[in-house]
Amino acid sequence: MSMFINYEHNNHVYNITVERRDNQFYITYNNNEYTVIATELKPGQLSIQLGDRVIKSIISQGEESKFVFIDGNIFKVKRIELTGRKKTEKREGDLHSPISGTVVSCKVKEGSPVKKDDVLLIIEAMKMEYLIRAPYNGVVKKTYFKEKDQIEIGQLTAEIQKKEEVNGSH
Amino acid sequence: MFKKVLIANRGEIAVRIIKACQEMGIRTVAVYSEVDKNAPHVQIADESVNLGDPTPSESYLNIAKIIDNASKIHAEAIHPGYGFLAENPDFAKACNDTSITFIGPTPEVIRLMGDKIEAKKTIAKADVPIIPGYHGVKQDLSTLLAEGKKIGFPLLVKATAGGGGKGMRIVHTESELEQSIESAKREAKSAFGNDSVLLEQYIDKPRHIEFQILADQQGHVIHLFERECSIQRRHQKIIEETPSPAMTPALRETMGAAAVAAAKTVGYTNAGTIEFMVDGHQNFYFMEMNTRLQVEHPITEATTGIDLVKWQLRIASGMELSLKQKDVIQRGHALECRIYAEDPSNGFLPSIGTLEKVDLPNGPNIRNDTGVETNFHVTPYYDPMLAKLTVNTENREESINKMIWALSHYVVLGVTTNISFLKKVLDHPEFRNGNVTTHFIDDYFHDWLVTKEGLPLDALIALAVYDSLHTQRQEVVRYKEADPHSPWQHVGRWRMGV
Repeated sequence: MSMFINYEHNNHVYNITVERRDNQFYITYNNNEYTVIATELKPGQLSIQLGDRVIKSIISQGEESKFVFIDGNIFKVKRIELTGRKKTEKREGDLHSPISGTVVSCKVKEGSPVKKDDVLLIIEAMKMEYLIRAPYNGVVKKTYFKEKDQIEIGQLTAEIQKKEEVNGSH
Repeated sequence: MFKKVLIANRGEIAVRIIKACQEMGIRTVAVYSEVDKNAPHVQIADESVNLGDPTPSESYLNIAKIIDNASKIHAEAIHPGYGFLAENPDFAKACNDTSITFIGPTPEVIRLMGDKIEAKKTIAKADVPIIPGYHGVKQDLSTLLAEGKKIGFPLLVKATAGGGGKGMRIVHTESELEQSIESAKREAKSAFGNDSVLLEQYIDKPRHIEFQILADQQGHVIHLFERECSIQRRHQKIIEETPSPAMTPALRETMGAAAVAAAKTVGYTNAGTIEFMVDGHQNFYFMEMNTRLQVEHPITEATTGIDLVKWQLRIASGMELSLKQKDVIQRGHALECRIYAEDPSNGFLPSIGTLEKVDLPNGPNIRNDTGVETNFHVTPYYDPMLAKLTVNTENREESINKMIWALSHYVVLGVTTNISFLKKVLDHPEFRNGNVTTHFIDDYFHDWLVTKEGLPLDALIALAVYDSLHTQRQEVVRYKEADPHSPWQHVGRWRMGV
């Protein structure tokens, strides 16, 4: 059974396939195939034999991302599902929180109209403020946070129904 | 000696102070805010007090709450650590007024040294050099021009209300002076609403070198040598070392004597640090005095073998300093790195999250000061420094190599840290040569990015293995079915395909 996985790191997407048979793994990346033997020594701690060398790595699974410790470097990687549909949606303005922090103020109510670039939410983290703005004209369909709420990085802050969609198109 | 001490701090410094107290048979009381209730400093303390709301002003900065709790549980003394209330004269006074010993200098000394201009004036009386300059209230052009000529060139015109380089000009010749003053004033006016400027001699290749001192209540003052703290990012130290590569025995003796004289002049008691700026020609100038334990104190402890926190406790309890200057010997070399939860590739913004795994390097002469552990949640409320890593060896080169090794085995997963940045700084040829100034990061790491190279193959292989091991069979099917139009429909090429 093969798995197809997309990893995102620093805005680059890496496509991998992996297939496992007991402790042997067959991995393809960039049209190259790698056969490795791997053991998970402790939870997240891997010892991977590739040819005559051993890759040692520690991986942690957070809510949003994985952290990979390898060769003294740490990489933050997200596993993503790349489908045609999702790709186009993603570009339309991001209403996800860029940082974890506290909501200082929610400027809009559900049902209220907003113009492009209106401030929806102010988030404070370590004495700095981050603004979530409306990506387009529309109506606030849903707000997920109120004042003093804790917000985590990547959480959706609000949903905005686009103006043309209000009239029943789409 | 005290029987019970309250530690009015959190994180690694609270842990470090609690351990010193416990070794000396002193009962310890930790304070914590809601978000820190399971933090390491609370776990290791003998008792703990909940301060409630995590907002600093409601918890670790709340003088009334802390004093009230200290009285209730009969703490005889309070150690403020660094940051928070450590240099707050009102806090020191409130302790004294409640008959609780504040572990630090007197409120009067804290107040005097907190006023940076008054501090310089006072210290100058002890014949300690300060940067020649004009800090006067007369701001008319002819006064400023006359004062500027007196100071000489190059000189610095700085907005009095300044910060961040705004309203700042380096003036190389007399002919540029008038125009520079006027433009600095304009910029200061628009940035700070105040066009008042000060003039100072410009220091070329400045280093930040500080001296640790210990002073008892009987009037004895000794210094414990220097710490080189030039590697700073936005005025925040990130790497410290001792001895300084710029130091000579003669300069060390002169600066050490100046530090002791400065402390004596103000009647300093307890541990303190005198910060100097040193130029490329070994001229040194008093900058300010830190009236508390410093973050970077471990490198002094590593090279002198003296426990600064224990001496703080002894001095505060009235004991005489039994150490004489001649007893204090500097041996080998020590280096400290500050581990921050911040993202170097994202403008060093603080990084928040749960620490999924913490596994710190250890070995001979490697010291970890840490206030976090696996499953600790890094919140946005406090300073993002997670831990300090200190190494000491026979010499500077060995220390650098040991530090790079230790950083390469430093596992903190769950937030982004500055570890890769620290390694690059340590391995920079100019750092290895000891050619550091306070401009080092700006000069060499101005537009530095963590991973230009992207994700290495080994990381991808490890991820693939991990996900293969940790994905349920049903989920695998779901992935295949989720996207019939994915670029992966040429699955037939996959020779091991099932």
